[in-house]
Amino acid sequence: MKRREVLKSAGIVTAAALTGPFFHIRPARADKGELVVVSWGGDYDTALREHVVAAFEKATGYAVKLDAPPETAKVKAMVQSGNVSWDVIMTDAPAVQAMLKDNLLEPIEYAAVDKARLAKIPKELQQQYALGQRIYSFNIVYNSKLMPKAKHTRNWTEVWDAKNFPGGRTFNFQGGTAPQLEAALLADGVPMDKLYPLDIERAWKMMDKLRPLVTKWYTSHAQAIQLLSAGEVVVGNTIGSRGIAAKKQGAPIDVDYNQGKLASDNWCLVKGVRDKKIAMEFINIALDPKLQALIAQKVPYGPSNSGAFEFLSAAEAADLATSPENIKNQFWWNTDWWSTPGPDGKTPRESQGERFAKWMVMN
Amino acid sequence: MQQAVRFWRSREGALILPALVFYLLVYVYPLVKMAGWSFFDHGFTLKFWRELAREPAYFKALSNTLEISVLVTVITLLLSYPLAYLMTTTTPRARRVLTVLLLIPFWTSVLVRTFAWLVILGRNGLVNNLLLALGLVGEPQKLLFNMIGVQVGMVQVLLPFMVFPLYAVMSRIDLNVIRVARSLGAPPHRVLLHVFLPLSLPGVAAGCILVFLLAVGFYVTPALLGGPGQITLATMIDMMITTFLNFGFAATLGLLLLAVVAGIFAGVSALLGLNRIVGGGAGS
Repeated sequence: MKRREVLKSAGIVTAAALTGPFFHIRPARADKGELVVVSWGGDYDTALREHVVAAFEKATGYAVKLDAPPETAKVKAMVQSGNVSWDVIMTDAPAVQAMLKDNLLEPIEYAAVDKARLAKIPKELQQQYALGQRIYSFNIVYNSKLMPKAKHTRNWTEVWDAKNFPGGRTFNFQGGTAPQLEAALLADGVPMDKLYPLDIERAWKMMDKLRPLVTKWYTSHAQAIQLLSAGEVVVGNTIGSRGIAAKKQGAPIDVDYNQGKLASDNWCLVKGVRDKKIAMEFINIALDPKLQALIAQKVPYGPSNSGAFEFLSAAEAADLATSPENIKNQFWWNTDWWSTPGPDGKTPRESQGERFAKWMVMN
Repeated sequence: MQQAVRFWRSREGALILPALVFYLLVYVYPLVKMAGWSFFDHGFTLKFWRELAREPAYFKALSNTLEISVLVTVITLLLSYPLAYLMTTTTPRARRVLTVLLLIPFWTSVLVRTFAWLVILGRNGLVNNLLLALGLVGEPQKLLFNMIGVQVGMVQVLLPFMVFPLYAVMSRIDLNVIRVARSLGAPPHRVLLHVFLPLSLPGVAAGCILVFLLAVGFYVTPALLGGPGQITLATMIDMMITTFLNFGFAATLGLLLLAVVAGIFAGVSALLGLNRIVGGGAGS
């Protein structure tokens, strides 16, 4: 009997010990003196660390921890469990809308940002809960070996034209930026300044025409670039900056900025951010035109502060989506239209996103 | 009842306790939480299930998932059976070589292997270049972003999961039984069909169950190597979570998959008397 009791209690103690790690979880919050910034990773983070983080750490004495990627589901889980370990995030407009719906962000403290810098940032990028850091656009990105520059698709109508421009296409699926209804309407001849409000049914008719041309619906921009480099597709709708970065590394890729859709990656504050003042100071430093120029030289995304162009050469500027040359042929993605709820309470981002998923599955 | 009490007070009961507690915490508790998301949204609600019933797209994704999984299981079985048979009947050295050949890819990350297939099966990939060079085809074949790509990618990953259970059962079949059958005049094909095959069925069942279960949960391979016809329920669940932050509906889809798979197993097990086959070890 005694041996049995000992064994049983040994079993219970083991069980308790095994569950131990679940009960004294180390607090994941930033320690005082540390700021957690979340971005998309890769080369941009390297440039961010080299310029912005270095300047910030020198000015404030705080240490910065960079994390990636800014998954909105993670933010939701964090805020709802009260265990917030991220302070500042940089993410795109659809993600901002998704997070606002569940009340996961703090408003931006515009008083803490230099007036001179705000003056040079487009008004569209100064929202209540999001402040633009970099600008990119969805462009016609093509394989310059399979479709030489002299005879490449110059607009979306030509991208939809498989007879004169044969080859596979790639468009994005999933992510808040899909479906590319604006490109569909432009392909149908709608003038760029008359796009919004979008004629949804007309756009979907054009999407039906696009479907047989698409070799693969990509789920990450890196995938799109890989498909283009490998020659699986000849043209795609993806981020021009990524195409330029690949071109610089020797890939047979080029970008046409005509009819591009401009969008921004924005700074946001997670609800429950520990030190809002320090977080805003980081954002303020990130908007410094000199630092934005230094980053843009390394990673070809358009700086949100147009003052940065004073520090860039003409050659460097030519590659950016927001250079005067390139920006005049593009349009801004209308985040207002996409985030205004319809009569059923759903925003176009949600209803069109769902419609896209169903359209894709019921092929 | 008396027997149950006696079990939990026994040595066996105490030894199982740690594993049971762990299981309750990391499997049962999250499942209960998921059910909570699926049935509660400021009060009990069936709205997610109503939405699911209304939309055919999610059932199409479910049927895609099952179609892929059944096909993978069948193809893997057809490829693995001869291989396992070879491993059983060959020399120990050859068996070792075959085992190593099976295990090395097994130890490589699934993601890396999936990306490798993109290179091998692409328009300008190894297979197409070979076919073109041999003059077997006039233009590159579409081997990716369709069912072919998904099957190749998944079968390669799941092959060891079928071979090893098959081998484990086959290696325990008393070869004397085979010899007796031959000496009684049975031709080789009869020996295979009527003696060897029935004896190897527990291995077939175990392998198929394992491969099917794993295939049903695959997310990355169908997403990277498949086309719209291979969109799985896993993809839809991911979309609900990451794009729409709709945890309630994602949980509903997850529970749907769980219910369907459980139903399939209950049905197949009743139909084939699986309990008898799989649990045959203890008795015999």
